Amino acid sequence: MISSFDYRIPKTLEEATDLLWKTQGKSKIIGGGTDLVIGLRKGVVRPQCLIDVTNIEELRKIDEKDGILSIGAAVTHTEVASSSSVKEYGRILSDAVSEIGSPEIRNLGTIGGNIVNASPAADTIPPLIVLNAICRVVSKKQEREVPLGELFKGPYTTSIEPYEILAQVSFQKLTRDVRSVFLRLARREAMAIARMSMAIVLQMDPEKCVVEDIRICVGAVTPTPQRMFDAEVILKGEPADQNLLTKASQKISEAMVRRSGVRASTSYKVPVVESLFLRAMSKALGEEM
Amino acid sequence: MHRVIRFVINGKAVEVEVPPHWTLLRLLREKLGLTGTKEGCGIGECGACTVLLDGEPVNACLVLAPKVEGKRVETVEGLGSRESLHPLQQSFIEHGAVQCGFCTPGILMASKALLERNRHPTREEIKVAISGHLCRCTGYHQIIEAIEAVAK
Repeated sequence: MISSFDYRIPKTLEEATDLLWKTQGKSKIIGGGTDLVIGLRKGVVRPQCLIDVTNIEELRKIDEKDGILSIGAAVTHTEVASSSSVKEYGRILSDAVSEIGSPEIRNLGTIGGNIVNASPAADTIPPLIVLNAICRVVSKKQEREVPLGELFKGPYTTSIEPYEILAQVSFQKLTRDVRSVFLRLARREAMAIARMSMAIVLQMDPEKCVVEDIRICVGAVTPTPQRMFDAEVILKGEPADQNLLTKASQKISEAMVRRSGVRASTSYKVPVVESLFLRAMSKALGEEM
Repeated sequence: MHRVIRFVINGKAVEVEVPPHWTLLRLLREKLGLTGTKEGCGIGECGACTVLLDGEPVNACLVLAPKVEGKRVETVEGLGSRESLHPLQQSFIEHGAVQCGFCTPGILMASKALLERNRHPTREEIKVAISGHLCRCTGYHQIIEAIEAVAK
């Protein structure tokens, strides 16, 4: 049973931030509602007012400007997945969103909602982290830009204040020579929450055949999706041979255990996270599996 | 605390007054008497409550009623009439794709949206389109064949 609340549908960002300011702490933003409505039903969220941001034009657009791709927070997963600019300049993100839930969920759910819900298993977060995405967070009083990776304080917790709203997420367009891969493991393909995911952006130096730049992020196996710096460091400037990749994969499982502790599932997750990384790398390097 | 919501249901403009915390599913079933749309899990996992919102399939259990203000909603009641069934409905009967029938309205709406977007989907595209639907009688094979027959 859902307890009642006021429901507002602002048409502009200004109107929304005004409402948030006035109702501080008592209102909650609703996008597609695919997570929030379940929370309302369970009674774990009890807002006095819901602010529906899906009618704000500014938050519904995908824009390209000066080599930057910006996606409005209220753009749905279906729209992100079918956007030709996202496919061309941020393929890893289209691949990830096209696997979220089901077509019905993707028609409702928004990219901003997936980010601010801050689930450790959120499918958009690891790809956005390796894309070095920046979030534009707006309030009545100020506007700030935060690297997406720094937004998460813990599972389901972000640094966004109750009077703030996530307006856009943007990233530099990937050039053609950059390879990116997103892989996820779940109990079944449709409708299942990721048990583990891996996002990689890789740039090889074509002349020296070494790794020029690499960013790796795991999802669902740490309290918040996390960059794997130890593995990145040992790969940079080196040829991505099997020996080194195996070492890097061990750095990843070590970092995972350090962050999440030893759990009943650890004996499963250690070899699997290592394999998932190796599989993603082999896909990024263009090898057949 | 009630709220007036104006929207179009199965081609007809309506104005209803419901509490804003009602879901679209509850509005359809309890206010408009459109009980063809079923409530299965209530948390967007089973697809039984699928309706079309501005032509696209969504889980009516996850949509709060005020969200449909000014929008078009289609339910299984708008699909065909007793006298003249929609080709998908006819095909479901012919292929034995209806067993207990609980998942049928949702799957019909999802397949209608698919065929409107893509007149000749492949078998794989059909499977993706109904991937958010559970049939506990496990009659998936006949369901896919029924949709495929209309798509040919």
